[in-house]
Amino acid sequence: MSAACPDEAYGVALAALPMMGPARLRALLARWAPAAAWAAVAADRALDDHIVAAACGRDRHEVRAVWARVAKHIEPAHELQRSEQAGIAVHLLGRAGYPPELAADAEAPAVCFVKGDATHLASPARVAIIGTRSATAPGLELAHRLGRDLAAAGVSIVSGLARGIDAAAHRGALAAAGAPPIGVVGSGLDVVYPANNAKVWAAVAECGVLLSEAPPGAPPSAWRFPARNRLIACLADIVVVVESRASGGSMLTVKEAILRGRQVMAVPGAVSSAASEGTNQLIYDGCCPVRDSLDVLVALGLTTASRGRGRVGRPRPKGDDGRLFSLLDAGTPLDLETLARNFERSLAETALALDRLEAQGWAERNGAWWQAT
Amino acid sequence: MLAIIPSATLLGVEGRPVTVEVHVSNGLPAFTIVGLPDTACRESRDRVRSALLSGGFAWPLKRITVNLAPSGVRKGGSGLDLAIALGVLVANGDLDADAAKDMAFVAELGLDGRLRRVPGIVPLTAVVASAVVVVAPDCATEARLAHDGQVRVATTLKELVECLRGDAPWPDVVHPPDDANPPLIADLADVRGHELGRLAVEVAAAGNHHLLMVGPPGSGKTMLATRLPGLLPPLTSAQALEVTIVHSAAGVPLPRGGLVRHPPFRAPHHSSSMVSLVGGGGAYMRPGELSLATHGVLFLDELAEFIAPVIDGLRQPLEEGVVRVSRARASVTFPAKVLLVAAMNPCPCGEGGPPGACPCNEAVRHRYVRRVSGPLVDRFDLRVPVMRPNVDDLLGAAGGEATVCVAARVAAARACARERGVESNSEIPSTQLDEVAPLTRAAAALLRRELEAGRLSGRGLHRVRRVARTLCDLHGGDDVIADGHVAVALQLRVEPVAIDRFVA
Repeated sequence: MSAACPDEAYGVALAALPMMGPARLRALLARWAPAAAWAAVAADRALDDHIVAAACGRDRHEVRAVWARVAKHIEPAHELQRSEQAGIAVHLLGRAGYPPELAADAEAPAVCFVKGDATHLASPARVAIIGTRSATAPGLELAHRLGRDLAAAGVSIVSGLARGIDAAAHRGALAAAGAPPIGVVGSGLDVVYPANNAKVWAAVAECGVLLSEAPPGAPPSAWRFPARNRLIACLADIVVVVESRASGGSMLTVKEAILRGRQVMAVPGAVSSAASEGTNQLIYDGCCPVRDSLDVLVALGLTTASRGRGRVGRPRPKGDDGRLFSLLDAGTPLDLETLARNFERSLAETALALDRLEAQGWAERNGAWWQAT
Repeated sequence: MLAIIPSATLLGVEGRPVTVEVHVSNGLPAFTIVGLPDTACRESRDRVRSALLSGGFAWPLKRITVNLAPSGVRKGGSGLDLAIALGVLVANGDLDADAAKDMAFVAELGLDGRLRRVPGIVPLTAVVASAVVVVAPDCATEARLAHDGQVRVATTLKELVECLRGDAPWPDVVHPPDDANPPLIADLADVRGHELGRLAVEVAAAGNHHLLMVGPPGSGKTMLATRLPGLLPPLTSAQALEVTIVHSAAGVPLPRGGLVRHPPFRAPHHSSSMVSLVGGGGAYMRPGELSLATHGVLFLDELAEFIAPVIDGLRQPLEEGVVRVSRARASVTFPAKVLLVAAMNPCPCGEGGPPGACPCNEAVRHRYVRRVSGPLVDRFDLRVPVMRPNVDDLLGAAGGEATVCVAARVAAARACARERGVESNSEIPSTQLDEVAPLTRAAAALLRRELEAGRLSGRGLHRVRRVARTLCDLHGGDDVIADGHVAVALQLRVEPVAIDRFVA
């Protein structure tokens, strides 16, 4: 073992050990300096310390055997090099560079991996948008809209980059090109999960920051996700649940948020919808309901409800285009045929007017359907 | 004794001349057919024997060998029955060889000696070099279409032998007249509402642009599709013969006059196999639905329910206009110039489409739409949502424009395309688009915005310009394409299911 290794290398090596959860890692690094902790593990005497042993609980004999065996094959310098090659920065709790937003937490990760610009974490306001992976279309639509409008208002969106609500919220935030998005993931930062979120994943790392406490190459093991959820709760000023079943990952995040005194808000849904069971329960239990981004901004204290809902600033379109816009503004998405009928113009004229409204940012299309922005 | 009788067999949509050689010699009684016959062909032993006995002829108790030359080509079907029977008669000395000189025979035999029709009479008689061809009475009209010489018919083997011997006159060949009226096709006037859908079928017919309709069940997708053949111009005589040959080879009933003069409409069920759709199978390789629809409309209802590899098999033929089916023993080429029209539901429950309209899980909707592969969807120049029509339209008295009015515009637009040297606008090469479909400045700006927004690919751009060209042709045919036509062309090529933004 070379003596020239920086402390971060031992941090990565320790995090890369199997059966190494956040609590065990914290106990080890609280007891010893990183190099000494690694030496203790490699020499099979880490578990002799009673605090570390307590953190390992009933598994301690198995943990001791596994760590001693695996540590022989891990080369700390190599692990650090691998992180650096993947563009992943390693931060140790208590050292310079460690995100201060996490450091204050009682369960802060002892070793934290960051991809992208960590200074983005210091956003003036951070809101977590979370929800089920099997979301309904309206849920996804709303998550997208909330992400977009909040990011445009300068609020960083924190989410887990999972399928469904998480990814929709981040897509919205990226579409707005506003405040930098923050992604907190359960796998290693070089292991994209789920694979078809690769584009959002890369875009978040590009425009914002990605965080994980899993070392590079770590697979998305089930136990890492509840641990990841506590980081989301920790980073957010407000946690907004868009859709959630009665139990599930989102409800665990809510629990972590309540433990940390973060405000939880929920989007009300139809009482018959299974996907809104959890959020409706939260509202019943006293959470603030969310109707649109304004509700969240008011809760953040960034605006006041008295400013009213609706668009501010630009004058609405005039003349024929204005008439078409008011048709769109009714709320439900409409198709070209219906619009042309109500607009009392030919398909071509309607299509041209819609294109004008879109170019000016008044209308947007989703497939064959148009709606006001 | 030896007899040599010409006939023909079918491979794909082409006839292959076959010489039937029958040799009767002394020896143990036996009847063998050599020369790669398939099952139906080998079974003709029993049909021929019974037919001869039923006709009052003696069955030679000798060694009979039938060779089907050229012996390397597989022979399928029962069309060689009659030639084999006459060969046996000639070889046995019951019939003078000169009586059947320069005559070919194509028919199946019944056990009672009756002559029956076989599939593919048009291509079969086309390749026969003899001056006279004899077929079953109900095949005479078809045989006349392609055969250069004389067509004769006979009801039974006995009658045929009497005619050949000169004991009886040849029966008259009756050619029924062509159907005066086109086949009954539902009229577009019955369609209420559906402004966008009507426009889509009109553009599809005028420019031969493939059309995909997406909408909830009962919204009128099938209704619109079935009216499309009425909008297409009648077939030219070359096209008509090509279509008739394919239909004849597949054994599809032909119209009374023999020639298929109107664009065919084929709507195979979504359980169709690859072979049934693109052709192949058996010794003689039957053309598939794709070829049967050539110069007409192939309608695939419930596109997402088709077996994925089967519809993906359509991709290459749609591009090339022909299907090349290759098997170990033979490879054949079928025509496949179709107008593809497909319909599907937006999601498993059928009610989806507008964002948030159906209870289906987003992942389920996504999976449903993904059943139709991207490259295939890309072949559709026109992708339109078909909504349930407005209640006022449905109950209102006035119908829409009638088929005849729309068909006139379609014919005019097709004439514009022919002036550019293409059959239809969908065939305009992308290199010529700047020349034949120049854009106004506003139209170019519109396309630029679409391209910059990433909603249009390079290939998509070409396709939109071709559709815009067709729209322009339908509205009087200015040389330069205005922005209104481009805007509508873009609206006719939307992602028909609101899905893309939120799911990767």
